[in-house]
Amino acid sequence: MLSLYIRKTFDAFALDLHLDASTEKIIVLFGASGAGKSLTLAAIAGFLAPDAGRIALDERVLFDAERGINLIPQARRIGMVRQDLALFPHLSAADNIAYGLRGTRAAKEKRVRELLALVHLENFGARKPSELSGGQQQRVALARALAIEPSLLLLDEPFSALDLATRIELRRELKELQQRLKTSMFFVTHDLGEAALLADEMAVLDSGRVLQFDTPNEILRAPLNSRVAQIVGVKNILPATIVNANCVRIGERELDIAATNFGRGAEVFACIRAERVLLVRREGPARVHPNTLEGTLLDEESDGNDVMLKFRADGARLKPEADFDLQIDMPVYVYERLHLARERRWTISLKPNVLHLVPE
Amino acid sequence: MSVHELAFPRPVKARFSVGRLIFLVLASLLVLFLSLPLVALVVRALPLGLDAWLAPATLDALQLSLITASLATLIAFGVGTPVAFLLARENFRGKKIVDTLIDLPMVLPPAVAGLALLMAFGRRGLLGATLSFFGIELPFTTAAVILAETFVAAPFYVRSAKAGFGAVDRKLEQMSELLGVSSFRTFLRVTLPLAAPLLFGGLLMTWARALGEFGATIMFAGNFPGRTQTMPLAIYSGLETNLDSALALAVFLVIVSFGILFAVRAVSPKGITLG
Repeated sequence: MLSLYIRKTFDAFALDLHLDASTEKIIVLFGASGAGKSLTLAAIAGFLAPDAGRIALDERVLFDAERGINLIPQARRIGMVRQDLALFPHLSAADNIAYGLRGTRAAKEKRVRELLALVHLENFGARKPSELSGGQQQRVALARALAIEPSLLLLDEPFSALDLATRIELRRELKELQQRLKTSMFFVTHDLGEAALLADEMAVLDSGRVLQFDTPNEILRAPLNSRVAQIVGVKNILPATIVNANCVRIGERELDIAATNFGRGAEVFACIRAERVLLVRREGPARVHPNTLEGTLLDEESDGNDVMLKFRADGARLKPEADFDLQIDMPVYVYERLHLARERRWTISLKPNVLHLVPE
Repeated sequence: MSVHELAFPRPVKARFSVGRLIFLVLASLLVLFLSLPLVALVVRALPLGLDAWLAPATLDALQLSLITASLATLIAFGVGTPVAFLLARENFRGKKIVDTLIDLPMVLPPAVAGLALLMAFGRRGLLGATLSFFGIELPFTTAAVILAETFVAAPFYVRSAKAGFGAVDRKLEQMSELLGVSSFRTFLRVTLPLAAPLLFGGLLMTWARALGEFGATIMFAGNFPGRTQTMPLAIYSGLETNLDSALALAVFLVIVSFGILFAVRAVSPKGITLG
């Protein structure tokens, strides 16, 4: 069990982090910059003493304010891979990896060879960091951190500065490596895709606090509140009032929902993921769709993969004061198949289980 | 054409213009003004016979200068390194004052430095009685030469070393500590090697400055051949007694100083990264 309780107050920021996570897993700490991710890592590594709290790995206590325990970084056995300044610039790749190793020269050399092989850099040991690509540098940094057999490996946005292809490759390799070695990893990122891909368990951090801790699937499916929904990329977060256990009022419309435990009259938010709004095909089989709205597609943006559309309902609106009611995302090929550039009048459908209700 | 040249094409050669002509004339004037005296010195010294270069007084002054300048540099390294490190890394009360104090000898007239040293370590100086009690007489000894040179030249090392330590990223040191290496060994294995080019450059500058020290030395240590008469002092005396020997020493100083300044440029990194 990785047990983190870190409290540290600054002039303009307070970190108050509680987390109990499993070991031998990849735990992702996800949050925007300024959420307190780097401070958390600094506290775990021993470069920042919390005002209060306790940091422990299974039975090993690294920090405990009450008992006056604060191990120096050297005694923590924590590995670290950073985004920038990963390696010692004056040492070769092999010497970087050997840096934290103890023992005879022969034993060190053998271990360095193993580690170079582990990160697929068998023939690069003699190179200086400046002679390696960004991806290779991060592999050396990973090997160096693993060399001391850390009880916990901290990864501070290690792939953020790399190009997309290298990033994807290294994520996969890291995941494989973790499954093979069973090293406990604590991975910090502001990239939701990366978080979802790597995490066995994921903590959503905001303003120094963990808002939700769960598997990535569960967080994406059911964010705990509107702030988490916002952070994990839910585009439609609409104020709503519970009418009864199976019905909610959003703006001027009443919509069917999956059974809820919220009481009648409760003020909540309805979270609707933009990619789960269904466009009803006119020529499709005649079928009764739940929660249909007729309306117009106002405008659109595309990032090359997906198209983001704005939909405005006729008559009863979901957001009467706004220009549009819902954002709808879909892959470009679907956009083209449905001739959306031409066809602007649509009926949409919101399945009851697409409406996820959260308290204020 | 290389990729670099494609990305950064060479500037088009400037065309002739009156403004440019004035600019070049002014620039040439300064270069000329700086080089003419040196050329004159060399022209006068070239015909000198071997005896001017190898006169015992000349060689004595040369030997004394090399020894004292090297010892002064060694002292500057020993006590200057911790000062530079503290100034680069730590915040403490009075840091700005210490920082300014370290720079002061660089702008102070050396005569003031010599006088100040006399007032501190002279027979009737602040510490004079204490030193006498232990049987130590500093003024007018070789030790006084070394002290005067250290006083004047050490700031050059501290300045450069401070910049060197300041440029080493603390994250690298933190990484070393996380890998289980003690703070002191981290200093030896990471900080020092990465700061080395600027430390070395600072040592060269200090040595060159110590070699040329005149004012503080003559006031605090006097001008005694074989004991305190370093090269600059020998040149000064030679003006009246032995101009040939003075010329030989002067040329030697010019060549050594030029070589050192040139070397400092060569070792100073553009960034700080090595390799």
